[in-house]
Amino acid sequence: MRRDNDDLIERVAAELRRPAALSFGFEARVMAEVRSARQPSAWARAWEWVREPRMVALSPLGGLAMAAAIAGVVTLGALAWPTPVATPGASTAPAESAQAVQFVLHAPQARAVFLAGDFNGWDARQSPLARAPSGLWFVEVLLPPGRYTYAFVVDGSRFVPDPAAPRAFGDDFGAPSSVVIVGRGGNQAGGRSL
Amino acid sequence: MPGSESLSGVTPAPDDAAIVRRVLGGDVDAYAGLVARYRDRFARFAVHMLGDREDAEEALQDAFVRAYRSLAACRDPSRFGSWLFRILVNRCRTREALRRRRTRTFVRDELALERAGATPVDEGGAWREEIERALARLDPLYREAFLLKHVEELEYEEMARLTGARVSALKMRVKRACDRLRDLLQEVESAAR
Repeated sequence: MRRDNDDLIERVAAELRRPAALSFGFEARVMAEVRSARQPSAWARAWEWVREPRMVALSPLGGLAMAAAIAGVVTLGALAWPTPVATPGASTAPAESAQAVQFVLHAPQARAVFLAGDFNGWDARQSPLARAPSGLWFVEVLLPPGRYTYAFVVDGSRFVPDPAAPRAFGDDFGAPSSVVIVGRGGNQAGGRSL
Repeated sequence: MPGSESLSGVTPAPDDAAIVRRVLGGDVDAYAGLVARYRDRFARFAVHMLGDREDAEEALQDAFVRAYRSLAACRDPSRFGSWLFRILVNRCRTREALRRRRTRTFVRDELALERAGATPVDEGGAWREEIERALARLDPLYREAFLLKHVEELEYEEMARLTGARVSALKMRVKRACDRLRDLLQEVESAAR
């Protein structure tokens, strides 16, 4: 049986050893391209070398060792990289994706108005509103796309929802609050887009 | 490789180094001597490896041109053939990887078909077609190892130098290629009886 099998492989190999004919003019085509070819620069050779696809022969053990080495490098990199500290009011989104949102409250009797929300850690002293002669208070805040709840803090202690915006369901911190949604395309609900 | 220069370098062709020196000295036309010397031998490998004559010619042409452009990097010009073959093996691998995204084709020897004209395909032609069909169904790495070992008749050490694979891996590939070819072709032979 094995003898027959070996005979079969030998017959296959013998058939495949027959010369393969190339099309007419092959040599001329090669030489035409050779004559027009330029010797590449060192940089071009280096670039060609790095982008040349290669097949890498790797044993399972070698593959495991390489995977372990990569995992080790990633772990060390993660440990060495400083962990960002969450700062109230600080946005982790890229600055270019943030949008300016104007918050306005009509409170002619108020002495001071601040804006507090989950974008500034509900800090009642971080975002003061400016007062216009008409009694309008306003502030502009850069907000990345997202949904935020907020309220105005009037005279240091009174939380007032934005009358021009939807109310937040459940009202954080037990105080009435409003909702602003900042979209990626500049669309938003609540607050006022600039 | 009977009747031709060994790729292992045991009997290096004496003229290769001289031709390479002439080419590097500015005699570009001398390169035609190397093209004529190796084109038929390497065309056979490329045709069987890629299973398509047009792809094979492009791979071979690409290998010749790349070899010319990098001729100064050929460390041992007396073994130009071995160096060129390594380039061709890599070009075939690259083309094979690209071709796998397209529909797999079988070898169609257009010249042979033209010669055959309107005569019916004889038994020899049918047998060859079955071989080519079976070859095309092999994993490319197995096909490559089988061709290098049984068709080009290289030693495993030379195959290892050409492919970058270990001898043990190459032996395994050759064995699996043979097993697969036996399975595929014995079915054909049994059906023909």
